[in-house]
Amino acid sequence: MKTYACLFVTLSLLTGLSACKEPTIDEGILPFVTPTSTDSTGGTWRTVLLTSAAEIAVPQPAAITSDAYQSELTAVKNGLLSATPEQNTAVNYWAAGSVQRWNQIARLLVSKYNVDAAYDETTGQYAPYDATKPVASAPYAARLYALLSVAQYDALVVSWRAKFRYNRPSLERQGILARVPILDVPSYPSEDAAVAEASCQVLAYFFPAETAWLKAKAAEHKQSRVWAGACVPSDLKAGEELAAAVAAKAITYARTDRFDRARDPNNTWESLRSRAPYDLTWKSLDIPARSPMLPLAGTTRTWFDSTAIVRALPAAPPATTTPAFQQALADVRDLANTRTRDQWRIAEFWSDGSGTYTTPGHWNRIAEDLVRQYGQNELRSARTYALMNRAMQDGATVGWRTSFTYFVPRPSQVDPTIKTAVRIPNMPGYPSTHALLANAATTVLVYLFPNEAEVLKAQAAEATLSQLYGGVQYRFDVDAGARSGVAVGQLAVGWASADGAR
Amino acid sequence: MRRIVPIAIFLLTLFVDPFVRAQGLVDGFMRGQRKASLALTYSQESFDRYYVGTREIRDPNLGTVSTQSLNLYATYGLGYDLDLIVNAPYVRTEASAGYWPKQEGFQDLTAALRWEAYDYKFGKTRLSWLFALGYSLPLQNYVIDAPVTIGHGSRNLDGRTMLHFKAGAFFLTGQYGYIRRGAVSLDRVANYYQPDNLNPNSGSKVNVPDVTDIVVRSGFSTKYFYVDGWWQQQSPYSKGTDIAPGIPYPTNAVGFTRAGASLYMPLIRKFGLTGAYSTTLDGRNVGKSTRLSGGFIIGL
Repeated sequence: MKTYACLFVTLSLLTGLSACKEPTIDEGILPFVTPTSTDSTGGTWRTVLLTSAAEIAVPQPAAITSDAYQSELTAVKNGLLSATPEQNTAVNYWAAGSVQRWNQIARLLVSKYNVDAAYDETTGQYAPYDATKPVASAPYAARLYALLSVAQYDALVVSWRAKFRYNRPSLERQGILARVPILDVPSYPSEDAAVAEASCQVLAYFFPAETAWLKAKAAEHKQSRVWAGACVPSDLKAGEELAAAVAAKAITYARTDRFDRARDPNNTWESLRSRAPYDLTWKSLDIPARSPMLPLAGTTRTWFDSTAIVRALPAAPPATTTPAFQQALADVRDLANTRTRDQWRIAEFWSDGSGTYTTPGHWNRIAEDLVRQYGQNELRSARTYALMNRAMQDGATVGWRTSFTYFVPRPSQVDPTIKTAVRIPNMPGYPSTHALLANAATTVLVYLFPNEAEVLKAQAAEATLSQLYGGVQYRFDVDAGARSGVAVGQLAVGWASADGAR
Repeated sequence: MRRIVPIAIFLLTLFVDPFVRAQGLVDGFMRGQRKASLALTYSQESFDRYYVGTREIRDPNLGTVSTQSLNLYATYGLGYDLDLIVNAPYVRTEASAGYWPKQEGFQDLTAALRWEAYDYKFGKTRLSWLFALGYSLPLQNYVIDAPVTIGHGSRNLDGRTMLHFKAGAFFLTGQYGYIRRGAVSLDRVANYYQPDNLNPNSGSKVNVPDVTDIVVRSGFSTKYFYVDGWWQQQSPYSKGTDIAPGIPYPTNAVGFTRAGASLYMPLIRKFGLTGAYSTTLDGRNVGKSTRLSGGFIIGL
């Protein structure tokens, strides 16, 4: 009797103790990474939007002996002694790396905006397009990540050029003990201010409704570096100004890259479908049917040589009447009927559909781990992202152009008994853009991180097959996607091998 | 009366539906020392409307979601005031529209101890105060993050207390419980948008919101039949999400108000038949389901 009572009381107490408010997801805290190199020749690296870093002039800073500079320095020193807990939180948050943090912010916004128009039960229609809430699906996100990282990269190349030209010594070399690890490069202009300003402006172009939020983030980011003891306000100002000029270039590029028409509100894709050189064409499997995802995204201006991109386009798929197609269909059916739990996991892991940061976002996340692991400094991590993201945007362009040429139906359209482990993307299937993007991204990453080749290739292989396991792609989709992806990735590798970074 | 202690009521709240499985395993009737019972029931449940947050909708891409389950439920009296309860359902669920595959398999194994702490007699009436503590864990690694699933895959600790009043054939039971649900690992990285979510790559481990559970049940229990009616309200306790694209299903804050009735008829000595019905009155991130079940119970 007594033992029961004790048992119950103890267990009830334990239950009660555990009944506290919990976070929905756990966020780990990662240690700071000290970059392994300063890349002092970074100012000579090849820029993407600018003809060269010299295109943007950064004014000569005041000498460190000047009164203006000395009073700034004193203010920073005094600030270090009176930091508030909120300031420390901001300092630690942004010290993880400005390029990484803004890439994360971009992914966060993509996952927020990557939501299809809602179905309205009362009207039986999908909600009309709202220009303030663009749908951040894969090609949209690929372009966003590319423009963001290109603007960051160009702004950093300009910063690096000015840093080593004017050589204003870092605050640490002037006896200031910073609160977090600081890369030992000249402090003028601030690389953090450059990244914050460029990122804020580019992201605000994509998500105008977030402008105020982004500006607050950027202001906090810049200020956090003064609180950290990394730079003085005049370093920030110079970084901000040069980045504004780079961001303007990025936005001009975005206005003229023909992506604006990708959404195709007048449904001109239907005439493309009627002319498609394929015997059975795609139709939407959503109930009610909806227009496909960004049908004209395949006409977007490419980052790399457009004739080489055209060569990377997949060849025509086998017609539905051919034995090759029938065999491919039977393969998907067999896989779907005997799908293992592990195949389901793989399909789900790589699907990155609606409400997520998309497939390009997934590869940005993988790149983030590598950038961190290899201690890349801001400039070099921006280069990594810029190379990979340009390859992925061009990969998405290749994929979309091919999909909206052939209009190959998804397996479940040909055989409705095929059930899928992931939501069927609302667009024609050939080629698999998951396979394409995976191979484009890993081709670049393997070049940049040769020691990780084995892991990256395994990831690419799994991602390539994932949507076949999911039941939404044929094997010829994933094979064609993988081939095109490698071809596009090679273009980025070609660029990287001649951009001056080594 | 104890000899035909009805089990129907346990099974009733042991419902299964594609968005949530609440397990109100326990009622106020003690088994009795070294007495055992075994129940096997089959239930059919379906919904074509569900709650997204608290808004009721119908998704033409899901159609009607129907679930069949086979429940094995056993109780054993370890002592005159302590029972062991064990339950294992086999569940199959599918949607009538769209392309989500049918899910099927053993769901969660639950074991609970029920202790009658106090027993007061007032003339011909009795009031007892009971406590129960249960633990459940998934029997296999089933799919948890899809519109059509058999469970949310968490390991749960369920603590509850109840007051059971009996006057002749009439009884009234009120119970309050807290279900602590453990974190689960998704097949993917959770990267959904939350304003206070600083980092969009927090990993695959997500929390399943805890819930509180209130059940009020009343009816008549005689040697020849048992009948009851009940009302149950389960509410999310910890902060959770609402169903939306990209949001992991297990993190959704699930709650509901349900009502139902059940019947048990002994046929020959220790063998009887049971039937039950329940319906959902209101909910949050859950199917607006109705459920019909039937089965047999053997006393040992």
